[in-house]
Amino acid sequence: MDSDDELASRLRGGDERALRAAYDRHGAAVFYLAQRLLGNRADAEDVTQLTFVAAWTGRDGYDPQRGTMLGWLLGIARRKAVDRMRSAARDDRVTETVRAHLVPPDGRETPERVVDRLVVADEMGRLPEEQRRTLELAFFDDLTHHQIAAVTGLPLGTVKSHIRRGMANLRRRWEVDGAPSGSRSVGPTRAL
Amino acid sequence: MHHLDPDRLVLLALSDEPGLDESDHLDGCAACRHDLAALRDVAGIGAELQDLRDLPAPPEHVWSAIESEIAGPARRRRPRRLVPAMAAAVAAVVAVAGAVAFFRAPAEQVVARATLTPLATVPAGAGGSVRVLADGQMRIEVRNLPLTTGFHEVWLIDPDDLTRMVALGNLGDRPDEVLPVPAGVDMNRYSLVDVSDEPHDGDATHSGRSLLRGTLTS
Ligand SMILES: [Zn+2]
Repeated sequence: MDSDDELASRLRGGDERALRAAYDRHGAAVFYLAQRLLGNRADAEDVTQLTFVAAWTGRDGYDPQRGTMLGWLLGIARRKAVDRMRSAARDDRVTETVRAHLVPPDGRETPERVVDRLVVADEMGRLPEEQRRTLELAFFDDLTHHQIAAVTGLPLGTVKSHIRRGMANLRRRWEVDGAPSGSRSVGPTRAL
Repeated sequence: MHHLDPDRLVLLALSDEPGLDESDHLDGCAACRHDLAALRDVAGIGAELQDLRDLPAPPEHVWSAIESEIAGPARRRRPRRLVPAMAAAVAAVVAVAGAVAFFRAPAEQVVARATLTPLATVPAGAGGSVRVLADGQMRIEVRNLPLTTGFHEVWLIDPDDLTRMVALGNLGDRPDEVLPVPAGVDMNRYSLVDVSDEPHDGDATHSGRSLLRGTLTS
């Protein structure tokens, strides 16, 4: 699997296959974000399309030093989705039928929260297998370190270090690509 | 002073209640409080990840649309080279076409026209123009409309009451189309030309997804 650096340089060189590789890797996350934000599949498909077309047109603007490719793509997708929501709000005056699109589905979340989940999930996928499995038991099954040691057969010390390192990795990634609380209150999309 | 042990911070973030000593330390230590808050956030996000493990890929037509959009303009930009014999033939055709244009009937009388500009969500290269002729035909030309899985429809809308509108017809694959304006439609009132993206959903009302708009002036 190419690193973001390699993918970015192929993309900058105008290699369409690099865009396809980015789409294969991150298209599902972009599509998920758009669906969560827009609450409607057709708009989410459009926004996914707009995002990758914009990524292609703006490929010179991606700097791997400043964040991962997923973070960059989700940033574009978020802007496209917000544009779509604004235009839906504007067009709402045109016809009643649009209203249906605008009623937020139950549990609609802030864009920041969905992005947080997607980047942390992506980082989970990059953790070494044992570290990831240990964290999943802690997160999803609410097991204590002792219980995890018992379930996995790993020594308690190993469980502790997997969880500590795993959490540190997730935190680092979240601080790079997500929206940690410090920046949460100032972003221009906050008003939404 | 000793900061809280990193393993202990992780446990506190995941589930444990701090002991009295730990609470005292946290009250007095901004660094440990900051770390604990960040780890709690991460643990909170982590607990929500279960549904995200096998996200479905977008449907394949999304990629097809991306592919044709990124390939399209590049191909169009490429200059077309003609072999000399063909170039001569093309020149002859152009000469004939010029003659035809020259002898064409007097210009049709245009009673109103509009320039169509893209809405904010639509690529800036999209646009079009509209001429309404004295015989009630509307000639509409569009360019660079976003691809649709449905169809493009032309409307006349009352700008003072945007719920009032008249559907004129659909655009085909050609860049220009002639649509009749129904008799009795007051174009002073229905003066906003709107091109929308309509899904094939059997719903005859406006989808709310406008692509181009322009105001008719005489
Ligand atoms: Zn401390």
